[in-house]
Amino acid sequence: MASSRAGGRIAGRSEVPAPAGARGRMTPVAETAIATEDLTKYYDGRRGIVDVALEVRVGEVFGFLGPNGAGKTTTIRLLLDLIRPTAGRARVLGLDVREGSLEIRRRTGYLPGELVLWERMTGAELLAFLGALRGGVDHRYVAELAARLDCDLSARIGSLSHGSKQKVALIQAFMHRPELLILDEPTTGLDPLMQEEFQRMVAEVRAEGRTVFLSSHILREVERTCDRVGIIREGRLVAVEDVGDLRARELRVLDLRFAGPVPASAFQGLPGVQEVEAQGDGVRLTVAGPLDAVVRAAARYEVVDLTSHEPSLEEIFLRFYPGHDGA
Amino acid sequence: MARELPLGRTPLLLRSVAGKTFHDQRRSLPWWLGGIAALVLSYASFWPSVRESGERFNAFVRSAPAWIRDLIGSPDLATPEGYVRSELFSITLPILLLVYGIGLGARAIAGEEERGSLDLLLSAPVRRSRVVVERFAALAGGLLLLSATAWAAILVLGPPFELRLDPAGAAAACLLAWLLGLAFGSLALAVGAATGRRALAAGTSAGAALLAFLVNTFAPSVDWVRPFRWASPFHYYAAHDPLVGAFRPLDAAVLAGIAVVALAVATVTFERRDVGVG
Repeated sequence: MASSRAGGRIAGRSEVPAPAGARGRMTPVAETAIATEDLTKYYDGRRGIVDVALEVRVGEVFGFLGPNGAGKTTTIRLLLDLIRPTAGRARVLGLDVREGSLEIRRRTGYLPGELVLWERMTGAELLAFLGALRGGVDHRYVAELAARLDCDLSARIGSLSHGSKQKVALIQAFMHRPELLILDEPTTGLDPLMQEEFQRMVAEVRAEGRTVFLSSHILREVERTCDRVGIIREGRLVAVEDVGDLRARELRVLDLRFAGPVPASAFQGLPGVQEVEAQGDGVRLTVAGPLDAVVRAAARYEVVDLTSHEPSLEEIFLRFYPGHDGA
Repeated sequence: MARELPLGRTPLLLRSVAGKTFHDQRRSLPWWLGGIAALVLSYASFWPSVRESGERFNAFVRSAPAWIRDLIGSPDLATPEGYVRSELFSITLPILLLVYGIGLGARAIAGEEERGSLDLLLSAPVRRSRVVVERFAALAGGLLLLSATAWAAILVLGPPFELRLDPAGAAAACLLAWLLGLAFGSLALAVGAATGRRALAAGTSAGAALLAFLVNTFAPSVDWVRPFRWASPFHYYAAHDPLVGAFRPLDAAVLAGIAVVALAVATVTFERRDVGVG
């Protein structure tokens, strides 16, 4: 206890030159919005996350991608000091998540994953209350966000649909223009139009040099929104990639139907082809990256039909990041 | 947006965690206060007829077995003080304050946590200890409103029925009732803050209150219970009747001490544990 407090004080001193975050390019501390070191959490022996080393840079939109139960929410709740690590450390905005929690929460906006709001309040009352706990927020900005998300703040929250509650929760996360937004599954329940609006809001935050850390179990969503992606599987961070690289290796399942039988060997060994399954007139291919070679090969035969599917996140993970089955 | 957003000025009750606790009760609290006033009014209205038969009733009580006298608190129905003591302060008002206090204390942390809204509250820049202290303050404030309403109702609604009590004595009796509710409400808050389980918090505190009541009730006539009397908060509530000028500050201090210890336990245990993992 005493030693960790001393550590916090030393770190605090080194941060003194960094004036309130955003323009801290000169100081190493402010370049990292989130940094975790061997972060581990077990719940009574049940695995939460194991040895997660994560680095989110100031000014980027970082996606935290993984299937449900992989440990995304555990990581996020550790960052907010709602739960305490079994081992390892984490810093947010240069501050230790335990020692500096109050300051971190002041400068962070959070959207809970399992969203529960105060049902008997109206949206406006909820935002007024949370705003007051932050020492007041810009009411015009709150009204602007509500208008953009088409959110009725005068209704009792208990009477709202899940999507509408999500909007209220998004507003409370954005309303004080925090340096860092930590959003757990932010687009859950939002219709496509509102998802687009959400992406614009995130883009604006990035344009202002602020940071977004969002979790998702949907690859497409992360690709659309984020600069970099951390992939978490069964409690372990298995990869951190630029979205561009991820897209370049994008996995597709192609179903080709030909005028007659085509041998599997026609596609085996082509660049990007990972799996070939030939049956009658049809061929099913699993392809990573560009489709050029496959299309050229297919064109040598008479193609009747071609469909392309996206594999599930779990299939992608199994293919790209094997050997992390928690063993 | 059909109507103007009510965002311009934040209402007083939405400016703090304690305030929000009252905001959450803005529909139920008036019913509690009105109920207490109505209760006092009905007791007062019975007084004229009770007084007439008071002596006969007292004689009947004196002839009853000891355990019955213990259970009904050896009422003296011939005086205003005895009547109000036995009807209002011995059981009815404590039960109301305990139900209110234990319910609010159990909801304060554990209720919020079980519902799942504690994450949102704790993501705001407020220390956990501040949440606990403000919830405790709201508990104390709510109970004070109830107790003060009982006091005011006795003084205002009693005299029309010739039920007249010393205001200071009645205030001291209400003070003890307030502190009794606060002691068990704080116990519920502490168990809830330590465990995050609302039913456990409410059950523990309600069970402790029942046990304490029984110990204090049967201590005079059951030998093996008597030594434990000092451990029952009800002993400090009921041992000396402030209505007849027997108020002892030490009784109040013991009850307040229980609340303060519970508050300290709540603060420390809540600070140290994981939230929302139950």
